[in-house]
Amino acid sequence: MPPTIDLTDVPTKARITAVELVGSVGLGYLGQVLSSAELMTATLGDLVRPYTDRFILSPAHYVTAVYAVGAELGLLDRKELIHYGIDGAALETIGSERTPLVDFTCGSLAQGLSVGIGYALADRLAGTGARTAVFASDGEMEEGQTWEAALFAAHHRLDTITVVLDCNNSQVDGAVSMVTTVEPVSAKWEAFGWEAVEVDGHDLEAVLGALHVDRGGKPLIIVGRSDPTAGLNAIAGLDDAHFITLGPDLVNELIVELKGRL
Amino acid sequence: MTVRQAPYETALKPYGKALVDLAERRADIVCLSADLTRQTETDLFRDRFPERFFNAGMAEANLMGMAAGMARAGLIPYVNTFAVFCTRRPFDQVAMSIAYPCSKVRIVGFMPGLSSPGGPSHQAIDDLALMRVLPNMTVIDIADAGETAQVVEAIADIDGPVYLRLKRGEIPVIFGPSYRFSLDRAAVVRPGGDVVVCASGMMLTPALKASDAAASVSINVGVVYVPVIKPIDAGTVIQAAAAAKGVVTAENHSIIGGLGSAVAEVLAEAGVATKLRRVGVEDRFATAGSRPYLFREYGLSSGRILERIWELMGCDTPPPSVNEVETETGGAFEPV
Repeated sequence: MPPTIDLTDVPTKARITAVELVGSVGLGYLGQVLSSAELMTATLGDLVRPYTDRFILSPAHYVTAVYAVGAELGLLDRKELIHYGIDGAALETIGSERTPLVDFTCGSLAQGLSVGIGYALADRLAGTGARTAVFASDGEMEEGQTWEAALFAAHHRLDTITVVLDCNNSQVDGAVSMVTTVEPVSAKWEAFGWEAVEVDGHDLEAVLGALHVDRGGKPLIIVGRSDPTAGLNAIAGLDDAHFITLGPDLVNELIVELKGRL
Repeated sequence: MTVRQAPYETALKPYGKALVDLAERRADIVCLSADLTRQTETDLFRDRFPERFFNAGMAEANLMGMAAGMARAGLIPYVNTFAVFCTRRPFDQVAMSIAYPCSKVRIVGFMPGLSSPGGPSHQAIDDLALMRVLPNMTVIDIADAGETAQVVEAIADIDGPVYLRLKRGEIPVIFGPSYRFSLDRAAVVRPGGDVVVCASGMMLTPALKASDAAASVSINVGVVYVPVIKPIDAGTVIQAAAAAKGVVTAENHSIIGGLGSAVAEVLAEAGVATKLRRVGVEDRFATAGSRPYLFREYGLSSGRILERIWELMGCDTPPPSVNEVETETGGAFEPV
């Protein structure tokens, strides 16, 4: 990605694309794109250097964000998007082995960081200098594997690893905070030996800045606080942001509202 | 095929030595352990190639994911722990991070079946079944110290994941020097037979002993050694079974889901109308105890194989009594 590209409008444009994609299917994982658009833009537009670095999407149901942001950044041919969610097509609504742009996707949650560690160890052994970006979600902290991996990465000072964590406080049964207490998130990762940076997940400049902090030889986690409705009036107070039913009227409302932000 | 006679000589740590030999020749071989390094013979690798050795600690979910990432990056990881801890415990990680992406990860599970004195938590009676059901997975259960080195090299370049189960410590030398392990072909150790025994892993030597005992009363028992449970060599199994009055499978594993099931599937689908008996752990958990006690108590024995042969033959007289095969010189209780 040329460093000169202006990322400012990428998140909003990606949200519009995602509304169209999910709308074309009628329902799906839209809340994840709305919450993570800035975090994904920073990940794919700045952190991950194409053909150099590793990008692992731990929660595969975030893949629509990869498609939408990838298309805005020119990493994915926009014409490919017409195949989204079509039976037999590679652009599945949950990421898979066929998914473009991602090196590894893990539909069974919390498997991504471990795979990222494997890449990072291999790159350290080979001296490639590659970075490993692991996109993850807050609900995955309920899985024990997350903490097995966190321990290992810190012990081995794998400072080429960056986890971008979308803390949208949303999981299938409702708010993460209602299901279990994962807070204090940053303090937990710091206690495990990581450098942790808390940011407003919707503040693109803040997210980009956080990616380049001095990590002190440690793996880095960006804890992005986000909202699965992205402040949109059309879906304010939505009960189930994890899986949204999206009729044509709501699609139009959302697109009008999002275009007003450009 | 040349087969030695019991009591067998044994070799110590043939796997650990073979892995070091392979790594001497190939820089892409890496070794992962999970707090069971000496017990999986990989202390030899750790000491020779410390930069290519990774100890995950007691964290098998992370262990499998790391191996998957390394394989995707072009390395060939050999992942070593006890069979229960690399199959039951991280099954979802093996399925989704390794089998589904068809990663070139080699999972090596030690202490198969009732070879562990440690009770159900340490006894992998279901590992073959769990690994066999996964698409892309090659599943291997070997018997012989000499073939161990051959297997370690033979699986290195399989374009997908492999599960290899291995006995710890002293391994019998069963085959003569001309034996060649094959990924594609089961080995007809004793051709022909009124009854054919298909055996894998630690049940090969009891099968050979049962065959010898039957021969002493003029009953001819063929023995087919089937180390590769998946993909199974259906042709050899069918050919041997078609000419026999019955087939007995023998494995150090549950009779459900492993070699017995694989042979049953092959015979049924081929329409081979031969009766089948499965010798193995009969759908129950075992207990702690010495290896000879457990093998005797749970029917992993020459005696049980002979009983099944006699059933299939419809013999009125009881089978001859046999002394069970012993290969361990020790027998001390060493759960880890």
